Amino acid sequence: MENSTQESHLRPDNSITYESPYPLYSMALSSMPSRSNLNHQRIAVGSFIEDYTNRVDIFSFDPETVSIKTQPTLSFDHPYPPTKLMFQPNRKSPSSSSSDLLATSGDYLRLWEVRESSVEPLSVLNNSKTSEFCAPLTSFDWNDVEPKRIGTSSIDTTCTIWDIEKGVVETQLIAHDKEVYDIAWGEARVFASVSADGSVRIFDLRDKEHSTIIYESPQPDTPLLRLAWNKQDLRYMATILMDSNKIVILDIRSPTMPVAELERHRASVNAIAWAPQSSRHICSAGDDAQALIWELPTVAGPNGIDPLSMYSAGSEINQLQWSASQPDWIAIAFSNKMQLLKV
Amino acid sequence: MATGVENQDRVPENLKKKLALAVRNIQWSYAIFWSISARQPGVLEWGDGYYNGDIKTRKTVQAVELDADQLALQRSEQLRELYESLSAGESSPQPRRPSAALSPEDLTDTEWYYLVCMSFVFNIGQGLPGRTLATGQPIWLCNAHYAESKVFSRSLLAKSASIQTVVCFPFSRGVIELGATDLVLEDLSLIQRIKTSFLDTPHQIVSNKSIPVAGSMGNDNDLACPAHDPQILETKLSPLLGCEQLEMASPDDSSDGFEPNQQVEEPFMVEGINGGASQVQSGQLMDEEFSNCVHHSLNTSDCISQTFVDHGNVVPLHKGEKDNDNNGLQDVQECNQTRLTSLDLRSDDLHYHTVLTALLKTSHQLILGPHFQNSNHESSFINWKNTSLVKSQKTRVETSQKLLKKILFEVPHMHMHDKGLLDSPEDNGIRKAAFRPEADEMCGNHVLSERRRREKINERLMILKSLVPSNSKVDKVSILDDTIEYLQDLERRIEELESSREITESEARTKRKPPDHVERTSDNYGNNKISNGKKSFLNKRKACDIDEAELEVNFVGSKDNNITVSMNNKDFVIEFRCPWREGILFEIMDELSIINLDCHSVQSSTTEGILTVNIKSKYKGVGVTSAGTIKQALQRVAWKC
Repeated sequence: MENSTQESHLRPDNSITYESPYPLYSMALSSMPSRSNLNHQRIAVGSFIEDYTNRVDIFSFDPETVSIKTQPTLSFDHPYPPTKLMFQPNRKSPSSSSSDLLATSGDYLRLWEVRESSVEPLSVLNNSKTSEFCAPLTSFDWNDVEPKRIGTSSIDTTCTIWDIEKGVVETQLIAHDKEVYDIAWGEARVFASVSADGSVRIFDLRDKEHSTIIYESPQPDTPLLRLAWNKQDLRYMATILMDSNKIVILDIRSPTMPVAELERHRASVNAIAWAPQSSRHICSAGDDAQALIWELPTVAGPNGIDPLSMYSAGSEINQLQWSASQPDWIAIAFSNKMQLLKV
Repeated sequence: MATGVENQDRVPENLKKKLALAVRNIQWSYAIFWSISARQPGVLEWGDGYYNGDIKTRKTVQAVELDADQLALQRSEQLRELYESLSAGESSPQPRRPSAALSPEDLTDTEWYYLVCMSFVFNIGQGLPGRTLATGQPIWLCNAHYAESKVFSRSLLAKSASIQTVVCFPFSRGVIELGATDLVLEDLSLIQRIKTSFLDTPHQIVSNKSIPVAGSMGNDNDLACPAHDPQILETKLSPLLGCEQLEMASPDDSSDGFEPNQQVEEPFMVEGINGGASQVQSGQLMDEEFSNCVHHSLNTSDCISQTFVDHGNVVPLHKGEKDNDNNGLQDVQECNQTRLTSLDLRSDDLHYHTVLTALLKTSHQLILGPHFQNSNHESSFINWKNTSLVKSQKTRVETSQKLLKKILFEVPHMHMHDKGLLDSPEDNGIRKAAFRPEADEMCGNHVLSERRRREKINERLMILKSLVPSNSKVDKVSILDDTIEYLQDLERRIEELESSREITESEARTKRKPPDHVERTSDNYGNNKISNGKKSFLNKRKACDIDEAELEVNFVGSKDNNITVSMNNKDFVIEFRCPWREGILFEIMDELSIINLDCHSVQSSTTEGILTVNIKSKYKGVGVTSAGTIKQALQRVAWKC
């Protein structure tokens, strides 16, 4: 499976690999530079062990020297594999607060305070008023306009919007007919979600009575697994289907009809991320062990859209993040490795 | 007005007036003065401008009637104010603007084009104005809306605004740009005349008829073009500043060879053909152009492509300058903007303001950011090659999206098992139907209490499941089946053991009364099957168990050594050894749940009458519990008799 010829363009100055003792799935890049060194960026990775005890490890990355510094004191246990990790967005300056916030999802939404040399659990957010039970979370998204707001998606067909400052549920919506697999914010009050029912729906917190279905998978009930909203051009979002090599690009103003379908992966797609600083670029990664960068073209040719560039990893790429604070770097995770790649 | 102050140093005096005169005189749509930026040397930015195109909504506070000149000047100021308020950010632009101020909805496409131009910045030598400044030569661009973005970065924007002709020439310490919605063939004398007549003299010159736009083209086919374009036609119908093209562009003129296509209703199609027609006039690449345009218009399902024109086929006049070192960055930015503009104007979009703000902010970020410019490091990515397709065509057969599916489909169920809730699909059924806000509120009390009851039952079932060795099935019926089977099996085994022990015991002691014993056990199991009577049966048993316990204490030694409790926050791992007896596991689980421990995994084994239990559990009560409490509780159970 190791493809040595493809990896030959890896050089110490344009990539770095972090090897974890366990398989990795979730991953997050901090938007806040580290206090001690402004050029460093924190990266959190979550293990995927099919057992109760899982780990979240945090280390820092220096894009100048292209090096990684592990920080064993910043590791903590997580019950079962975290389904998603995310640092608080838009924390450009370390002075605003001394520490970074990390959220994880799984049984509950949990908030952790990442300090210089320790991680403290801040809160466990359980949205059930009546019992300790809260349906497990498949994903969440942190609102970058309104950073006190986090939306979670759950297998109980609902999405829950949290006010994490007050630690209360702002609202809970039955969003779909089946499990909700991913959620993404567009604006302060507008979010979208994808579900096992095969639809992409947009919600506006100002009008909770309605949602708009903007896409439905072609074969009824083909689950949609991931959703990414283009933060540079909110008219566009991207989603991926179960067992499909397609990335479906949607325009929220032309519901039901995707504006483009990117079909150059040779196996199913696992992750997508829009470029943080360009509205036309998106990166995708899949079971074909490739990460592809696409430029949405001015005109789609008759043979479909070709990617701009590609990177081949050693095995199926499961996770992909395009750093907002270091837009020149894309992070991918495959097997037990995390790799940072120069764009 | 604010701009006037800000730009004083860079912009020649009275420039706006001069621009106004010039552009009104030749009846073009706008004039822009690009000046060298004071903040960023070597960069051209918006200096001043005058808008002379179509206007959609007029807003005014003055009671006084203004004449056309004043109105037009005021319009240009208002557009500038709107731009400034928009670029100031999302922080509610409304209060900053006076009531008569414009909002984006009030603008025509051409005004929007003019407004977005304000956000552009050009490096010298880059873009139309930048190149003009660098070469010192005027540039006359026809068919600007079809120009390659490398040549004319705003071509897409121009397309939405129907700007066809753009002219740039150096002036003062900057560049003047003029634009028209018509096709005007290159006429350097026009530039000369503007320079001498309007810009160099501070006095107002009213030449009655300088260059009738259509006249300069002298061709009927050209005149017909605007008429084919419904968009232009529409806007031209309400001209506020007297566009005489309208009269000339009457449908009667449209007697050229493209007639069959005029029936097509799709506006884009018509536009495309117009493009083709115009190209015929310029005598360039006729066939290719034409088919190309038609090809595009057919491709309407693609929203992105709709607004774009194929590169490389429609070659504008300045071919030689294509190789200009236009970095991709600028392209990205401008395409971004164009797409927003051309599409957004027509839709009454809820996201309008945000998108617009994002757009204006983005453009600046992109100019400054080093993104996509290859700096010292080389990319890890290589150019995508389709050839690699062949190499690994034979992709793996194993399940695709393995980890992603596990995360989405299986991990939640791991939690479910722990939490003890296994809602079958039927349970979700009631919540199906359409989107209902505030699930909990809508459900009402009955549903809530019902759910609570269900959760409790599920929780108990899960405890039961953890105690019973079972196959992998997790539905309720299987759990109960497994339990019944297990209990029957246990019963059988106990009977065997009892009978064998009876023999040994009766040898050692004679105190005991075996018949009694047997009777008791069977009695217990009867209770156990119903499982509700757990407590009462425990109590009942106490009295007769004492002697048995006494017997077993001896090989347990110090009680404390047999319990280890390790804790991590609210998670407890308990290792525990005690003499085995019937139902002790249930008692342990019961005791733990009384002290608010939620067990999610239990492993137990019995060897030689000693029960070894490994429990992972979570404290779910408020506050804290200590290892001591747990030990006490367990000791209570283990040595209670």
